Amino acid sequence: MQIQPANGQLELSGSIDETSGLLDLLGRAQSNFLALDLAGITFINSLGVRDWIRMQAAATKSGIQIELRRAAEVIIHQLNMIIATRGTARVTSFFAPYACDACGREDSLLVDAVTHAAELAKLQPPAMVCPECGSQMAFNDFPERYFSFLSPG
Amino acid sequence: MREHSILIVHPDRKTQRLVQRILGVTGYRVDIADELEQAIQLMEQQAPLLVVVDGTIALSPEADAFFTLASTKGTEACMTLLAPDAGDHVPRILGLGAVTNLLVHQMPVLAEELTITAHKLIHRDLFGVEKYLLWGTELHTHTLTRASQRAHIVQQLAEAVRARGQSARVASMAMLVADELISNAVHNAPVDDAGAHYRKDVPRDVEIELDGKHAVTLRWGCDARYLAIEVGDQFGTLDRETILRSLAKNDVRESGAGAGMGISLSYRSSDHLVFNLAPGKRTEIIALIDVRYPPAERTPVSSYNVFVERT
Repeated sequence: MQIQPANGQLELSGSIDETSGLLDLLGRAQSNFLALDLAGITFINSLGVRDWIRMQAAATKSGIQIELRRAAEVIIHQLNMIIATRGTARVTSFFAPYACDACGREDSLLVDAVTHAAELAKLQPPAMVCPECGSQMAFNDFPERYFSFLSPG
Repeated sequence: MREHSILIVHPDRKTQRLVQRILGVTGYRVDIADELEQAIQLMEQQAPLLVVVDGTIALSPEADAFFTLASTKGTEACMTLLAPDAGDHVPRILGLGAVTNLLVHQMPVLAEELTITAHKLIHRDLFGVEKYLLWGTELHTHTLTRASQRAHIVQQLAEAVRARGQSARVASMAMLVADELISNAVHNAPVDDAGAHYRKDVPRDVEIELDGKHAVTLRWGCDARYLAIEVGDQFGTLDRETILRSLAKNDVRESGAGAGMGISLSYRSSDHLVFNLAPGKRTEIIALIDVRYPPAERTPVSSYNVFVERT
């Protein structure tokens, strides 16, 4: 996993696995706040999940608020499958799967969880336009499954 | 001598006919029961090779007696079918700890799953990912001789899957499944003469030579229906009970910690997970990821089979 500090946040990319050392990230929190940009995460395995849960637990214990920005789909899948991975972190934006019926394009598109909070609470995916043909795209998963990480455990 | 028959226990006439048509191609006689009492009567007269049971019936209290009778009669496998709207039953079925074959998909996938399962049992030929792929599909083989090769091989797999036109989602599921299954084969499979799993607690980032019997094999292929990933070890220590316990593992949702998480994550990241076990000789796990359908059109739960080689 690579870590790049930028604009008051840490940009993480690559794989989260047994070598990632996520707990060390907490030492880089400022004023008990840590923002993680997860757009570049491509993979997380079970040992990475375990490390992630330990990081979340330690953050909660020491009063550090974690904000997850631009969370990649692989992260969302884990947040949905394993409730403990959510901890007390706040997700402000995330990627979600969309498909275009007109041209067949499939894409992972960024959803602003703050702007669209009301729709997402009703499990309504925000409308998206196909970047290739301009048609309306359809959400490409089950909303009740994909957005379950947004509801309290 | 064994009756060459298959028994279907299902209350729905249309499903009975469908399954009868699919399994009739085996050449075996296919008997049908609407409910358990009738099935028990049929079972007392003969010993079917294979039993196919409706999921709701499998969950009823009377099912215990039926499954016990099937086991006494030497039935090779009891397959459980779930209706599309019965996905909520999966945790309960897993919780039973007795259902070794759960098929959740509808036609046409159901026909594939049923016939392959039946043929594997009839021909007593369990191993090999080829059985799940179309003729002519190219299989790629990697043999791991050092534990540190896992990350590289998993990355290579993801890149090859992407290069063949599959989505990032499919590549990421393939990575997760391959990583977890290889990790299990390297660290959990090896046992010493006393049956101790001597590599279980070795940190995953410590280099280990995988010489001789410790070598782990990954094979994969894609036939435009499935991306199939097979991981094999030469110890054969994984058993039916451990598998069913891991699949049912509640703490994957609740805590995310504990042994067996790799199997549970692999199950949840694939559409069909197959365990081929030859106790004391070899274990082979095959994960099938359906690449035909987008996530919104896929069944939200997955099928699994546990096959144990008869000695």
